[in-house]
Amino acid sequence: MNCDAISTLIPLYYYGELTPEQEDAVEEHTHQCRECADAVEQQRSLAAALDRREMQVPPLLLEDCRADLLATLHGGVSRVPATNRAHKGPWALFLEAVSHSFSGLGRFRQPIGAMAMLAIGFFGARLTTTRVPVTPPSGSDDVFTTVRSVQPDQSGHVQIAYDETRRNMVRGRVDDPNIQRLMLAGAHEDNPAVRVEAMDLLRTRAGSGSTEVRDALLNAVAADSNPAVRLKALDGLKPLSGDAEVRKALSRVLLSDDNAAVRMQVVDILVAHRDDYMVGLLQGMVQRENNDSVRLKLEKALKEMNASVGTF
Amino acid sequence: MADAAGTVGARVSPQVDTLIRAAQAGDQDAFEQLVRTYDQSVLRLAMNLLRSPEDARDVYQEAFLRVYRNLHSFRFDCSFHTWLYRIVTNICLDQLRKRKVRKEESATVETSEGPVDRMDAFHEEAAHADPERSLWNGQLRARIENALKDLTPRERMVFELRHYQGLRLRNIGEILGTTEEAAKNCLFRATQKMRSELGDFT
Repeated sequence: MNCDAISTLIPLYYYGELTPEQEDAVEEHTHQCRECADAVEQQRSLAAALDRREMQVPPLLLEDCRADLLATLHGGVSRVPATNRAHKGPWALFLEAVSHSFSGLGRFRQPIGAMAMLAIGFFGARLTTTRVPVTPPSGSDDVFTTVRSVQPDQSGHVQIAYDETRRNMVRGRVDDPNIQRLMLAGAHEDNPAVRVEAMDLLRTRAGSGSTEVRDALLNAVAADSNPAVRLKALDGLKPLSGDAEVRKALSRVLLSDDNAAVRMQVVDILVAHRDDYMVGLLQGMVQRENNDSVRLKLEKALKEMNASVGTF
Repeated sequence: MADAAGTVGARVSPQVDTLIRAAQAGDQDAFEQLVRTYDQSVLRLAMNLLRSPEDARDVYQEAFLRVYRNLHSFRFDCSFHTWLYRIVTNICLDQLRKRKVRKEESATVETSEGPVDRMDAFHEEAAHADPERSLWNGQLRARIENALKDLTPRERMVFELRHYQGLRLRNIGEILGTTEEAAKNCLFRATQKMRSELGDFT
């Protein structure tokens, strides 16, 4: 092989991507040819220079990425399970309407004593043109119809697409499982004020041992876009500071939440129950925390745990 | 170089195989474990290619969301690593192409020594002790950046996967939907361009 042919093989020779025969040919040639031997050396220095350019992944970026991903996944899959259409009772209708976020508005009223009165209304016509009350199919329910499209056809008929929304009122005790399901559904309402009130009600049930309530609170903390909702949900998680799932989720929130008040409250809950993992997490957070109050709180917590403030 | 999953380009290991099947059946924990097995090398690839933590974070998120949505269609006819890297490299190539079109600001800043990486993670070798060497390093760095910018997104990707990620060209071809021969040509062109740019430095 001549020098031209060898020089085209040198990069692949360096990366070990030649056949054994080609490799032999390169080695045989470079033993005799100074110029090609230099070219192999040049390839090695190039690779060494490029090695030094490799970028390091900043510490904690991986954790941030994982937290982002989990928040997105959990936020997206935490909906109340769809109810079978064939067995649609009033409760199912409620759940369906709330959890599927028709263009509805919802309203929760404050509990009166131990009783909760819930009034959830859906006004489908918020954005659209026509609202026609039609005869309710059962009892006294109000049904609102929102016309989505009107298409005349050539035979003189008209095809109308419409959504129906129904307003119901229910009244029951906070510990009634059906009321609880409604409160869980309220956690997904479009209106943040409804979500805050739903969290406030769920908060009172957090100590009941229901994982559904706990998960609804955790989902809100991890994924709700409104800080007031996240704070209210955190309030509810206080009695669960020793729960492993709660701690795992809150650690992620501490790394990813952009609201300082939320981070402050997370630190409070996490330090209320200590474990070894905490020290490392808090030390990492002190280094990157840009909010003075949160940083002071972290430093104080670490001092109380007799841990050093930095990771050295 | 082996990736976090242990072997590069190998068939799915029994352990990963189990995780994939569980995740396909809806097991959230298995999915998380699967992500953790591979995400370090994915992030390293994105970071080194795009040289921006924000962009790397976007690639990470987009890639694993696509994995989550499409995992049901993974049929074990290639390694999971290859399947995952097809997704990741597609997203990264899109980013590189957009940058090329927009001639977007690169991750470099102009200095008296030429452009220098803003997020530099270069390991300077006793630069303070030897100003001449420091100058030389600075210039070399600038030339490397220029040389890499001259590569097409595809050449850049092949080079990245071979040089930094240590994948075999056959596997790289499989990931990029091309032949081993085409990957070889790409790597050859990439090194030629860099050698001609850096010739007197190396």
